[in-house]
Amino acid sequence: MSGPGLGPLAALPDEELTVLDLVDRLLNRGVVLTGEVTISVAGVDLIYLGLNVVFAAVETLAQKEARGR
Amino acid sequence: MRRYLAHAITRGGSAGPAEGLRGQPLRHISAGEVGLWATEWQGDATLARSDALAHHDLVAAICERAPCLPVRFGTWLATEDVARRSVAEGQARFAAAVDRLGERQEIAVTLLWRDASADRDPTGGDAPARGADPTAGTGPGRAFLDRKRTAHTAIDDRTAMAEALATRVRAELVVEPSDVRQETCPSAEVALSLSLLVRKDGAGALRARAAMAVADLPGVRGVVSGPWPPYSFTEDLAQAGVSGGS
Repeated sequence: MSGPGLGPLAALPDEELTVLDLVDRLLNRGVVLTGEVTISVAGVDLIYLGLNVVFAAVETLAQKEARGR
Repeated sequence: MRRYLAHAITRGGSAGPAEGLRGQPLRHISAGEVGLWATEWQGDATLARSDALAHHDLVAAICERAPCLPVRFGTWLATEDVARRSVAEGQARFAAAVDRLGERQEIAVTLLWRDASADRDPTGGDAPARGADPTAGTGPGRAFLDRKRTAHTAIDDRTAMAEALATRVRAELVVEPSDVRQETCPSAEVALSLSLLVRKDGAGALRARAAMAVADLPGVRGVVSGPWPPYSFTEDLAQAGVSGGS
């Protein structure tokens, strides 16, 4: 599946890409309830595993780290 | 500490799966016309990837039994009363959205750049690679601006190519515009993310057509996933229900 010139995602097997795509949807889509609701996405372990959220999440983490210094 | 992790909204109190995440009790919290399926959670509320996938399995099981709206993963509600109020506030639009979704599912089509470098021709052409300096011998400021312009041009080209691919795939699949959610270049490595809404009885056929449509596209690798519960269509349909749209 992997080969010369492939990006990191394009080199992953289909099954893993499907999981990443799914996690993206679970985190970013679906009904958003209003009221006393908190969205809890705990830890790098989860945030790093989406296709489209991955870069935003990394950026957010980097900003948090920078503020914490 | 007890709290509730939300999974899906259905009409009434249809039968649900036996248990929630991590073997904890699954509750149906009724709120007028609709009800919320949620895990009654005790203990540490730190969620992991395995919980996200278990949430998906649970939502899929609920949606198999009755039309449902998936709730965004990671939505906590402090008490049963809070959960009931939160759902009751939107019960009319949730009910309308449940009715609209009916027996429908989502197919995901994702195109990944084979070469994820944004300043390189994705089809393998001769555009300068990142770090190449086409203006060697000029001043450093000029060279920097030229490199930046080259990169911007490459990104524009890549966006145009992604949109052309989207047009091509959608034309081959012949789906209603209202049944498609499309994002072009949502990240550096993803050219296109399509979500297609389809009736359950047509999901297998659409998936097969989608796999054929993306099998041999230039510069990208296509991945077709699903069918899944209609994650990408819940809010839009809920809003349409409020406005009386089709």
